Amino acid sequence: MKSHHLVLLITLLISSIALSACAGGAATAASSWPDLTVDEQTAYVSYNQHVYAINLADGTERWRFPLEANNKISFYAAPAITPDGQLLVGGYDHVLYSLNPQTGTENWSFKEANNRYVGSPLVNQAGIFTPTTDEQLYALDYQGNLRWSFATQGAQWAKPATDPDCECIYVPSMNHHLYAINAQNGMQEWKSEDLGGAVVGTPAYAPEGTLYIGTFNSEMLAIDAQTGSIRWRASTDGWIWGGPAFKDGMLYFGDLSGAFYAMQAANGKVVWKIKPDGPITQSPLLTEELIYFTTEVGTLYGVSYNGEIRVNKPIACEPNKACSKLHTSPVSAGDKILVAPTGAEKLLIALDANGEQIWSFAPEKK
Amino acid sequence: MWDMLIINPMVNTLLWIYSVLWQNFGLAIIVFTLLVRLITYPLTAQQMKSAQMMQDMQKSKKWQDIQKKYKDNREKLAQEQMSLYKEMGVSPFGSCLPTLIQFPIIIGLYQAVIRALAVTPIQLLDLSTHIYPFINASALIPLNNRFLWMDLSQPERLFVFGFGVPVLAVFVVITTYFQSKLMTPPTQPGDQGAQMTQAMNLYMPFLMGWLAYSFSSGLALYFLASNVFTILQYAAMGKLQWSNLLPTKKPRAG
Repeated sequence: MKSHHLVLLITLLISSIALSACAGGAATAASSWPDLTVDEQTAYVSYNQHVYAINLADGTERWRFPLEANNKISFYAAPAITPDGQLLVGGYDHVLYSLNPQTGTENWSFKEANNRYVGSPLVNQAGIFTPTTDEQLYALDYQGNLRWSFATQGAQWAKPATDPDCECIYVPSMNHHLYAINAQNGMQEWKSEDLGGAVVGTPAYAPEGTLYIGTFNSEMLAIDAQTGSIRWRASTDGWIWGGPAFKDGMLYFGDLSGAFYAMQAANGKVVWKIKPDGPITQSPLLTEELIYFTTEVGTLYGVSYNGEIRVNKPIACEPNKACSKLHTSPVSAGDKILVAPTGAEKLLIALDANGEQIWSFAPEKK
Repeated sequence: MWDMLIINPMVNTLLWIYSVLWQNFGLAIIVFTLLVRLITYPLTAQQMKSAQMMQDMQKSKKWQDIQKKYKDNREKLAQEQMSLYKEMGVSPFGSCLPTLIQFPIIIGLYQAVIRALAVTPIQLLDLSTHIYPFINASALIPLNNRFLWMDLSQPERLFVFGFGVPVLAVFVVITTYFQSKLMTPPTQPGDQGAQMTQAMNLYMPFLMGWLAYSFSSGLALYFLASNVFTILQYAAMGKLQWSNLLPTKKPRAG
């Protein structure tokens, strides 16, 4: 090959690699944030190329799945635990995996989806209901057999909600609608009117029969769970990403403008509102004493039920570096609060009720 | 700074076009590419003018005489070349400077398409912070990624009898080849630059085709639209070298 051909070829190859990087084509670059779920002894964290099982007692790794990183597989949806002891997690490779939570070995996989799993599956006695970005909700039995599927004409990023007293599955879609589906046969019970914006957070269900749902139209809405009609809508300062938490007739949630709200569930009236230090992308954790949530800029907040900030802790901050971002909901595990920073060396941090670190977990490179 | 000056205006223009074009992202990419081509037209025209002047200079008898005279003295040849540039009013950077200015625009366009598609939570969250207030983003998002048979956020394949055919990638290869062939000016024998251009004409279609094959079809559509508009733009200016498409006779040795 002539020398100028070689120079040109090398230049083009370098350009193509640069373009690949621009396009986010690098397989190991994370394209979302971690999410987690816990049982009595273990936290299961899905992030990038692995699902990690981490001992709650000391933050050590029990197993990871897959054992070796595979560029074609990545996980961001929170794993779900079935009543018969399976760990379910959907991947960006369009596959839903059932794992043994003790060992991390694969039980079965469901491969009929045509796009990514962004939202977590809902698991109840009726089976497994898994949302996908291929616009289908898949209902599976515990062996991974497809029972039915339901098309929502829009990607589903949120874990569906359910009403324990009926066989209803409530599926939010990015096409601005909420669907109520019969869990047994997959038939549509109702479809809401256009809610004005995409929905990516799980609706909160209140026992008197109302669903509460936040949208990208900067609104919180109350929807009649029987009919799908809108009872009230309340404006917020920014897009609502995470679903609200419901307790004692109140809704607690944050928005992307950085505001955090306590709102009366009966009428949408804001009781108090605070503006901490950054956008809020997740649902809060409600404990007996405090409401915990994180902001994107990397701070854990603990707020009393009357709106007083009691805990204000930067998390996952390395010396001489900006703090890692926090997009994931804090999760309660016994007396610990778990937070999973995005893109940090520490994948999981266990804190006490005051936000003091108990342990942290940084995956070993294998 | 890059985001503020290049990416954000491009993303928002793309979203605005999308909102007025029946929320069709494929059409928005095509119209946006056309718009960028029109805006950068003065740069393209300047580039072509400079290239033409350079070509005229290389054809001139004076230059050929200088080449003969100083063929064994490269340093002197370079000095004489610079003098001739000055004398004929040709800037040696006249044709490459407009190209260099266009380069960030092309990269920005590419990144804007990727950003607007926002198919993962991190991308969508990032997009949400870059949308101007006059865009009614809540009504637009999620963008409708469907265009013809394509999902613009996924690599394109047209399934024919169960086989996925990368139609768009094939068209990108063909149009890149035609574009480079039709736009290459006639060259003088032994011109080093011309040899480099020929090599580029050979590799570039395959590189672009590979990118179109591997990445989301929104980008492949941008490549295709960009190639077609460039060819049309040169055709409108009467600058296409149709003779480059015809087989050429190699000069006999000896």
